[in-house]
Amino acid sequence: MSGEQRQTAAQIIQSYDGPHLRIMEVCGTHTHENFRLGVRKLLPPQVDLISGPGCPVCVTPVGFIDEAIWLAGHGVTITTFGDLVRVPGTRQNLADVRANGGKVQVVYSPLDALAYAKEHADEQVAFLSVGFETTVPAACLVADQAVTEGVGNFSLLTANKTMPNAYAALRDSADVFLYPGHVHAIIGTGLCESLAEQGVSGVLAGFTAKELVTALAVAVRKAQEGKPFFVNAYPRVVKPEGTPAAVALIRKVMEPVDTEWRGLGVIPQSGLALREAYQNMDARKKFDMPHIEGKPNPACRCGEVLRGVCKPSDCPLFGKACTPLRPVGACMVSSEGACSAYYQYGGDLL
Amino acid sequence: MCVGLSAKVVRVQDGMAMVDASGARREVSVQLMDDVEPGDYVMVHAGIAIAKITDEDEHETDEIMEALLA
Amino acid sequence: MSDKVTLAMGAGGRQTAELIDKVFARRFQSPLLTADDAAVLDRPAGRIAMSTDGFIVSPSFFPGGNIGKLSVCGTVNDLACMGARPRYLTCAFVIEEGFELDKLEAIADAMAATAAEASVTLVAGDTKVAGRGQVDGVFITTTGVGEIVGGATPAGANARPGDAIIVTGDVGRHGCTILLARDDFGIEADVTSDCAPLWSSVEAMLGVSKNIHVIRDATRGGVGTVLYEIAAQSGVGISLDAASVPVDPAVGGVCRMLGLEPLYLACEGRLVVIAPAEEAPALVEALRACPYSQGAAIIGRVTDERPGWVVMNTEVGTQTLLPQPGGELLPRIC
Repeated sequence: MSGEQRQTAAQIIQSYDGPHLRIMEVCGTHTHENFRLGVRKLLPPQVDLISGPGCPVCVTPVGFIDEAIWLAGHGVTITTFGDLVRVPGTRQNLADVRANGGKVQVVYSPLDALAYAKEHADEQVAFLSVGFETTVPAACLVADQAVTEGVGNFSLLTANKTMPNAYAALRDSADVFLYPGHVHAIIGTGLCESLAEQGVSGVLAGFTAKELVTALAVAVRKAQEGKPFFVNAYPRVVKPEGTPAAVALIRKVMEPVDTEWRGLGVIPQSGLALREAYQNMDARKKFDMPHIEGKPNPACRCGEVLRGVCKPSDCPLFGKACTPLRPVGACMVSSEGACSAYYQYGGDLL
Repeated sequence: MCVGLSAKVVRVQDGMAMVDASGARREVSVQLMDDVEPGDYVMVHAGIAIAKITDEDEHETDEIMEALLA
Repeated sequence: MSDKVTLAMGAGGRQTAELIDKVFARRFQSPLLTADDAAVLDRPAGRIAMSTDGFIVSPSFFPGGNIGKLSVCGTVNDLACMGARPRYLTCAFVIEEGFELDKLEAIADAMAATAAEASVTLVAGDTKVAGRGQVDGVFITTTGVGEIVGGATPAGANARPGDAIIVTGDVGRHGCTILLARDDFGIEADVTSDCAPLWSSVEAMLGVSKNIHVIRDATRGGVGTVLYEIAAQSGVGISLDAASVPVDPAVGGVCRMLGLEPLYLACEGRLVVIAPAEEAPALVEALRACPYSQGAAIIGRVTDERPGWVVMNTEVGTQTLLPQPGGELLPRIC
């Protein structure tokens, strides 16, 4: 049954014969899974699948890594998701810092970072808080818990971002957004619906092969009908109202700020910073960190890749100076970055 | 940006739950969920449950395709 | 005698003799193992294979084995991959001062039992003790000699287009076991290491085919790394069916939790075998009759397309590359 049905969805994608169509997979995990599961190979040539800005590692400016390295250099233990360990700062990455004796602890969850801090009362411990609405609640949960429990040796270095204003900034880069399922599991579908009313089309997608193929079939079929649309193709996870307790928690702990997205520049009110009541949790303030400006490699075209302006292989560094083992740009270092996925899964070769 | 793991709730205590994904188990926070009980499925990200779910993608994609082709 | 290893036990005097006697000699008993400076051995007929390997693993004890068992399996399996029946083994220990003696005895027990199972004789050994912090618990180096059985030796450069690719069981269990045993990520699962001596599996294969092109044991870097090595050495493409790669459900669960690829997790009891397609079913049948390869399966084939690359056939009927091996495995959350 499912084989037969998937075939149907796959056939709809393969037989699309409408005009040139740009579908933006907003979410980096979609980028990764579409490559890994071979879903991209179903697309006919006139459908472009653009990897959007939803890879937190990719859009985090170089200066953030430099800030983390500054903290490690001041004796602070860095706790981080594995994703950030190999991301290049201006001169080094966190793996170099660890090799030189700095303390860098990879964690699965911010909860583990707080637990580490409690078990190591003699160390100052900072958690590198990157990620979008999906990841922010976990960071807010531990910030709140640390304040409540008076854990004095724990703080966050924040670079969190939110999607709504990024959609607005990118609305001309794509004809259909493949909305990030797990962001909307938190914030619900209201935004997608109102974007459709403003003429921006999108499909909310899950992450299995079946879910991705189905969502893309919906995208190409609906696009051909010519009217703006929104379809929630992931209702088993995404409810219209999202997860209200998570949204409330984010509001309690963090507030919107203007923030820089690597490659996209500053997008107003698209970042999150700790509110006044949580200032003790803010690593920048706690350690009196100076302003640190990172210097990205000028030849790197990550920014254009993120906007879908160029393919990874159009960048002069791609596959030469910049590979997953020696990444120059963030899109190559994160396994869900467009360049890395393109390189690893044979974007040009197959 | 958001690797999610669908997992079955095994037990719940004080806002934390032991979840199981085909035999891999871990404690996660379920503080943001109301009424999670053993046997429920949740979507887990970075150590917290972000949504209560059904575990079955088959049925759901069937329905979406039916609606699309109707 | 102290219940911990002391520097004096490594100094070469009476205490060293006591340590060797109490822990090693009585377990590794054999007419070939003497107190003299070297073992004197009969020369096997025909050609021999020889291999050496150093073992460091943290923790030294893990579900399904310990560093002792690992140190015998590793070298015995390297010999087996060349079609060589393991005959003689030497072992050198570097032990951290303060290491518990009962643990050392458990390690020696495991080595003796595994060696007996693999029909290999421990013929020489060495013991050193290093100061606290200079090694992590215990490091073991083993060297083995085996006799080549039958004619052609399998080699990484021998894969030919049209060959079938067989793996002798589910992949990634040792790597997953160690990852869980380190308890860095708060994850539990009932996974045990696949660590096992594999000569019996190889011998069974040699019994049904004289034409096996490649046998490799997938250790560090897992099956994925081995396949890329073979693709490069033989100058061929490898086509892998994603759905037919055997993965224990719990290993799969751990990998999904941490965003890891099971094909890149270490194995310590799995072979990758490449042989003409028409001989593959008989090889799989022979493997499945052996204790450590009951889960043998054909997972793909060798092609003349895209030499040097491993291509995955996906569940949606398309192709994608298996990402190339690289660097430290880092869990992925976003």
